Amino acid sequence: MNSNWQPKPGDRIFRPRRIRHYRLRRVLGVPAIFSAGYGNVGSSIYYALGIVALVAVGATPIALGIAGILFIFTALTYAEGTAMLPEAGGSATFARHGFNDAAGFIAGWALMLSYIVTISISAYTIPPYLGFFWVPFKESPIIGTAMSMGIVTFLMTINIIGVKETSIVNIGAAIVDITTQVSLVVIGFILLFNPPVLFHRIIDNWPTAGNLILGIALASIAYTGIETMSQMAEETRQPEKRVPRALIMMIIAVLVIFAGISLVSLSAMTPQELASEWSRDPVAGIAASFPLAWLTGILKPLIAILAGTILLIATNAGLMGISRLAFSLGSHNLLPSALSRVHPRFKTPHISIILFSIIALLILVPAFLAADAFKNMGTLYAFGSLLAFMFAHASILSLRAKKPELPRPFKIGWNIRIKGREMPISAILGLAATAIIWIIILITQPYSRWVGISWMVAGLIIYYLYRRKKHLPLTHKTKDIADLQ
Amino acid sequence: MEFHKILVPVVGTEADEEAIRLACRLAKRNKSKIYVVYVVTIKRTLPLDAEIEPEIKKGEEILDRIEIIAEEQDSEIETDLLQARDAGPAIVDEAVERGADLILMGVKYKTRFGQFYLGSVVPYVLKNAPCRVILYHQYTT
Repeated sequence: MNSNWQPKPGDRIFRPRRIRHYRLRRVLGVPAIFSAGYGNVGSSIYYALGIVALVAVGATPIALGIAGILFIFTALTYAEGTAMLPEAGGSATFARHGFNDAAGFIAGWALMLSYIVTISISAYTIPPYLGFFWVPFKESPIIGTAMSMGIVTFLMTINIIGVKETSIVNIGAAIVDITTQVSLVVIGFILLFNPPVLFHRIIDNWPTAGNLILGIALASIAYTGIETMSQMAEETRQPEKRVPRALIMMIIAVLVIFAGISLVSLSAMTPQELASEWSRDPVAGIAASFPLAWLTGILKPLIAILAGTILLIATNAGLMGISRLAFSLGSHNLLPSALSRVHPRFKTPHISIILFSIIALLILVPAFLAADAFKNMGTLYAFGSLLAFMFAHASILSLRAKKPELPRPFKIGWNIRIKGREMPISAILGLAATAIIWIIILITQPYSRWVGISWMVAGLIIYYLYRRKKHLPLTHKTKDIADLQ
Repeated sequence: MEFHKILVPVVGTEADEEAIRLACRLAKRNKSKIYVVYVVTIKRTLPLDAEIEPEIKKGEEILDRIEIIAEEQDSEIETDLLQARDAGPAIVDEAVERGADLILMGVKYKTRFGQFYLGSVVPYVLKNAPCRVILYHQYTT
């Protein structure tokens, strides 16, 4: 072997089996990666508006906007990390390489929490949209929650069997989704946008500082999908080029559309209406507010079907994402291999699918009775995702400090020099902001504090016991890419 | 027609054995190279590089069998195990990468709801292949 040879980013390391080796066929292009990501991110606006309005009230567009800036920072971090380390695992992979296995586990475990809550929230917000066809779906917490649980159970079953999902479905759904959202924004601006009214609705309903920060934290739920795109890296050739490109496309699409929808929503209804009657189906509220009866007659059923479909795809994506992540963590000895066990007939990781579906169902249980279940789900999501994003930013900074020579096909610009190392300002600010917001959630939100901490403690116990059983050190450092030959 | 590089995707049926014998006969004429691939399809709930031992073992056994048949035909073949989400795109992708000028696929007689059924992989390859495709339909009485 040439002694100067180094694997290029994106090169897979093959394991020879006698004279044969297996090779991976990667076929996804930028449109498919973008669609998979937008399918996740674009779906969350269908509930994020309402969940943010619950606390941020009039400042909902501001909270979404500030969260959008943090989203840009996080997306840039993921772009650099994924281009450098094109493995499934997202922030867990970054943390494993940037620090050690323990950090990788913590990031991965936090990410798993956010995935599970995404499954619960996406499923929880399908019935309100379908309430257009049968009112009890929206009005009755018992029927609505039962339906959500039925949806999770159904998806669990089809994922155990392993029903095919094609990228054409994702691309088609993303196109229809973007078209509908852009149409709503354009029509909304033409028919409803009234700057003085909007201004007063924002100013007259300005939240407390604490609620504004909580609103920003909850707004992070609007931008789920970064991890999905990071996972797509293993399925495309030249991930170092395609994933950053798809991420940048997504940043632009998401920010433009979300800004438009949030402004239109507060033009269409008062913050109180957005936070109450339409909190779980805010986009339906926008469609219902247009002053033209024939238009609402077309849009209301269209939004009901579209939102239901998009949210179903997003729930499914969450379930697939978490099972992949669990498998990835298991393959790196961060989680017991039982979670990586594959069904002999269906060839799917049935144990992790069943386990995480059950946890998602348990998170939905309070929704039968508790009025603030929706908000609690949102804060729990923020707990997990912000912790994972903190690790992502910190890992990129650590890799810049410790391994500046590693190939970085996509390198974040706007760097400052600290002790001779180039450090991206976006990652520094992203780390600081996500850490501060996470701490505020920890302090002010009892539900997410106790459930989140319990989750992390349970995970650490599992990790400790598993590593001891395997006689592996807790803080073992994973090898460099360059060392993997 | 001359074929210099023949790609033969296999799944482990008798039709594959017949197909590889045909490929060997065609290859002898033009001194062509034969590439045989088995595609392990990975469900979306698993990472693409998930190593599923039983599937890999099954693929290797099938490729072993095909190698024996090729030896009997006095032909040299190159075998490979691929992992992909879908077999169709993986086969087409492999044909492009190898520069194959023929894809030769054995097709077992299958019916669905009483009608002859080609499955999803064969139509995909027929539609998207960058070269000629020969389907070897296994004769059944």
